[in-house]
Amino acid sequence: MTYAVSEIRSAARPRKKRLSKAAIEPWLYLSPAIVLLVVVLLVPLIIGISYSFRKFSAFKSEYVGLGQYQAMLSDAVLGQALINTLWWTVASLFFQFFLGLGLALLLDKPFYGRRIVQAVVFLPWAVPSFLSGLTWAWLFNPIIGPLPHWLFALGLKAEPTNVLSDPATAMWGPIVANIWFGIPFFAITLLAALKSIPTELHEAAAIDGASPWQRFTKVTLPFLAPTIVITVMLRTIWIATFADLIFVMTEGGPAGSTSTVPVYIYVSAFKSLDKGYASAVAVLLLVLLIAYAIGLIAIRRTLVRHV
Amino acid sequence: MASVTLQHVEKDYGALRILHGVDLEIADGEFVVLVGPSGCGKSTLLRMIAGLEEVTGGEIRIGERLVNDVAPKDRDIAMVFQSYALYPHMDVSSNMGFSLMLKKAEKTAIDSRVGAAAKRLGLDSFLGRLPRQLSGGQRQRVAMGRAIVRDPKVFLFDEPLSNLDAKLRVHMRAEIKALHQQLKTTSVYVTHDQVEAMTMADRIVVMHDGYVQQVGHPLELYDRPANSFVAGFIGSPGMNFLPAKVAKGGNVDAVLADGQKLRLPDGLPLKDGDALTVGLRPEHIRLADDGPLKGEVEVVEPLGLSTQFYVRLANQQVCVFVMGRSNVRPGDTVRLAADPEALHLFDPPSGNRIS
Repeated sequence: MTYAVSEIRSAARPRKKRLSKAAIEPWLYLSPAIVLLVVVLLVPLIIGISYSFRKFSAFKSEYVGLGQYQAMLSDAVLGQALINTLWWTVASLFFQFFLGLGLALLLDKPFYGRRIVQAVVFLPWAVPSFLSGLTWAWLFNPIIGPLPHWLFALGLKAEPTNVLSDPATAMWGPIVANIWFGIPFFAITLLAALKSIPTELHEAAAIDGASPWQRFTKVTLPFLAPTIVITVMLRTIWIATFADLIFVMTEGGPAGSTSTVPVYIYVSAFKSLDKGYASAVAVLLLVLLIAYAIGLIAIRRTLVRHV
Repeated sequence: MASVTLQHVEKDYGALRILHGVDLEIADGEFVVLVGPSGCGKSTLLRMIAGLEEVTGGEIRIGERLVNDVAPKDRDIAMVFQSYALYPHMDVSSNMGFSLMLKKAEKTAIDSRVGAAAKRLGLDSFLGRLPRQLSGGQRQRVAMGRAIVRDPKVFLFDEPLSNLDAKLRVHMRAEIKALHQQLKTTSVYVTHDQVEAMTMADRIVVMHDGYVQQVGHPLELYDRPANSFVAGFIGSPGMNFLPAKVAKGGNVDAVLADGQKLRLPDGLPLKDGDALTVGLRPEHIRLADDGPLKGEVEVVEPLGLSTQFYVRLANQQVCVFVMGRSNVRPGDTVRLAADPEALHLFDPPSGNRIS
């Protein structure tokens, strides 16, 4: 290719004109994608960031510089939302990942009816989050749902009350729903990674004297590591910004006990109608998540550079 | 080191029987090659010796010990896989030392054994590399090294050279053979390539459809194949098979499909009119002006050292191999001769050798 291009260049007589044409041409081919990216990604992002420097009131907006960022520093509700987000993300991710990994390991073994089980297991992924949120909210409701009564019967609760109505336990409701919703994602991706491990490797390890646990840690895990890092990163970002389940089940309540940052952004923007402040909080969340992603990618580089 | 004894070993996959009672005695230090077309059960048999497949029936012993229900890691064997099965995330020295590491051997002991094996295989300068940074031949060596480091009682090879190009295969073949002569470890080697079998084996086991067809030294199989399958499988170019009928007059002759006659050796249990298959190795057919057979040359393949002809004879193509060069051209009619003693005769329905 380079040969061909240089040939064209040297053969061209009006050199300058041809050169600029050759320089523009690839950008023309790329333009549909670039235009699309700019319009749907870059423009809203820039507008959003610019909103964070403005104060909006009913009919006008004014530039306030870093004023809203300063306001965030003393916003106790935001502080609580950040803690809630951390708790919501870590708990959901932890259980989604380990249950998903366990499920993937089970589904990797042949058994009768595996295909049907696989299909059923992946079903939650296909259910709209709004619907699953509602269903879980009903399940936790002692009037129509069985869960409070079961928890009571097991002795885990003193009375069959709604978990969602107690600020101390309310976060567990959306977390449980989110775990149920997110397990299939890990199961699918990790199962695909498991299937890519050649069986000979396990056989070689078995002959080399590795116990099943050693085979898992020395052969399976190194193979899964790249997939694990990427899926955990994606999933963390998705969970941290995922407000549907919480909003449907608790609307951030009671008493802000389930208000995560995305819920807080939504409430600020569309209930308090404070677009500027909501944008500033969104920028904060964006910065935190980008920092997290960079950190995780750095860890991935040092940990799994061999695979 | 140890012998390996197989007694009436059987293997079923569901209702399908893969191995039908294999009996085999492999002596201490022997290099035995299991050879056969794909699907003959040779790899399954090897994997059963390794403990990677369950034994449906019969007994497998390594040394004196019955190992039917012994886990692979406790059988004191090492296996070289066709795909090499190197751990992609470990460097060469970790790959080779993995088994010792699992046994919790001391670091210095691991290093010295890995170092010795690497030196023997010419891998010293690659110890820090990852498998993907090695060529096919080097990976193959690492797989061998991993086996050597363990100093096992038995080496098992599952088509270890199949993934290499032709030239490297010939080279590694000689290397494995030389290694065996140094280490003298009992080895079982599976291949579908009869040339590999002939060149490497102390003894060859020819398998077909889950049955052992014949066991013997390479030349024994070549010179006295027990049946037409072994006769056709061993040797390249392959043996010619000509259907014929016995005609007893003054001499015993075989009458070929087109009526031409070929003199048969005396003293065989043949009756006039019997159907039989005449097996003729290409190098046992001569171009001879007074030969009893006549045919038209269809293809000439000059190989420099030798020449191969394909001659239309008795309504089929017959391969003739002569040393040196020839000025015979396609379309020429040639006369051919073969010594009665060089013929292999087989009973057509069973394929068994008539002797």
